[in-house]
Amino acid sequence: MYGSDGFTIYDIQLWAEGLSVTLSIFLISSFLGLLLGCIVGLVRYYRVPIIGKILMMISEFLKNSPVLVQLFLVYFGVPALIAFDMTPNLAAIITLTGNTTAFIAVIVISSIEAIDFKQLEAARSFALSERLILSKIIFPQSLAIAMPLLVGLAINQLQVTSLISVIGVIDLTRVGDIINQRTFEPFLVWPIIGATYFIMAKSIERIGARLERRFSAYHISNQI
Amino acid sequence: MIEIQNLHKDFGDLKVLKGVDLSIKPGEVVSILGGSGSGKSTMMRCINGLESITKGKIIVDDFDVSKSNDLREVRKRCSTVFQQFDLYPHLRVIDNITLAPIAVLGQSKEEANDKAMELLNSVALGDRASAYPSQLSGGQKQRIGICRALAMNPSYLLLDEVTSSLDPEMTAEVLDILKILSKQGITMISVTHEIEFAREISDRIVFLDEGRILKDLPKDDFFSESGGKSDPRIARFLSKMGNV
Ligand SMILES: Nc1ncnc2c1ncn2[C@@H]1O[C@H](COP(=O)(O)OP(=O)(O)OP(=O)(O)O)[C@@H](O)[C@H]1O
Ligand SMILES: [Mg+2]
Repeated sequence: MYGSDGFTIYDIQLWAEGLSVTLSIFLISSFLGLLLGCIVGLVRYYRVPIIGKILMMISEFLKNSPVLVQLFLVYFGVPALIAFDMTPNLAAIITLTGNTTAFIAVIVISSIEAIDFKQLEAARSFALSERLILSKIIFPQSLAIAMPLLVGLAINQLQVTSLISVIGVIDLTRVGDIINQRTFEPFLVWPIIGATYFIMAKSIERIGARLERRFSAYHISNQI
Repeated sequence: MIEIQNLHKDFGDLKVLKGVDLSIKPGEVVSILGGSGSGKSTMMRCINGLESITKGKIIVDDFDVSKSNDLREVRKRCSTVFQQFDLYPHLRVIDNITLAPIAVLGQSKEEANDKAMELLNSVALGDRASAYPSQLSGGQKQRIGICRALAMNPSYLLLDEVTSSLDPEMTAEVLDILKILSKQGITMISVTHEIEFAREISDRIVFLDEGRILKDLPKDDFFSESGGKSDPRIARFLSKMGNV
């Protein structure tokens, strides 16, 4: 393959397995992070006492410390604290979920606060419940505002997943390392691995741009 | 019937309303005049519970605004048209109008749409039902604001300087609609700086000054030399507003 006898057909399989580990850890932690981040953001936005403060302090720590440190903390620290059989994949999911949650919470709050609050008063004055105001007015508008930020975060978090290879997760980066060590073809292996991340990132960007266009249809301001 | 009794409103140390008594009977059209900072907006916001009451009472058709169980009923009866329109920018015109009737009054989508179209046609905007607010002029937005308020079938229409962010031409188109409305029996409480408009539509004029009602008179009395204008503060206010 590629005129180099170091490569075997199994390398493609290995690559595919690495890709699927990277993708599934990315998707799972992004999904959970989105869910938890929305909850943390809302708790904070509605100024739930105590819990809001505590959650925000945790978020601040997660945003402002290296992901690698967090990863070590979860992988080595948690099993030392409580007798628990931590696997590298689980540690990766927990760490990335926590980290994503922290960033999502900030995006949620800032996107809600970017909405003109006077229309929320208007809605209240028409007897709409807070729950309906959240779902019918706040949510759709903050989603439109948040979309570019969410896409940026997703692309960033995808790259961050490459760190999890350090604790022994057989992800795309680790697969690159394995193949490289055997074939000694760094200028072949790493561009292919890099291109794989690139294509994933570009796909996220594409999908994001499409969603963005759809959610912010109302921004059109052409007078007719 | 709206019954405001000894209404006080403080913002921290600032006493904005200092004992307002006002009652408004069904079908009445009342204009609230007064200088900037006299507390007109604050009073209007207290009526539908957007502002909490420091002391006193507001009763709307037997419902007490400061009781959380009653507030919803008060808000169903009082619709507000806002100075800055405050439409929902992400919803099309028709959905701006039908949101609360469907969600709060429990109307079916068809019923709410039919009513909305009827209202839109009455303000000559039937063809803009599927536009977004950002595609409309200020005057058009405010006409939508009026439709949104009327779609709730309110007993009381609250208007707080609804034309003051519009240019004169658009002001005229909005005032014309309000003039027609005022003749249709809906109870209207309108804060305005348009003295001629107030004089034309009102049954009564209430003049607020530094958080108190200075005069509460039938329109003709208010504008007579021996009535409202006998008070120097009101005379000064009217002449400042270009009305001698
Ligand atoms: N949320 C608030 N917090 C603190 N002060 C406020 C608040 N809302 C209003 N005020 C103050 O209360 C006073 C009365 O304000 P209000 O808006 O009721 O006046 P207004 O009669 O409507 O004046 P204008 O004609 O300029 O609209 C002003 O001094 C204003 O600064
Ligand atoms: Mg005001």
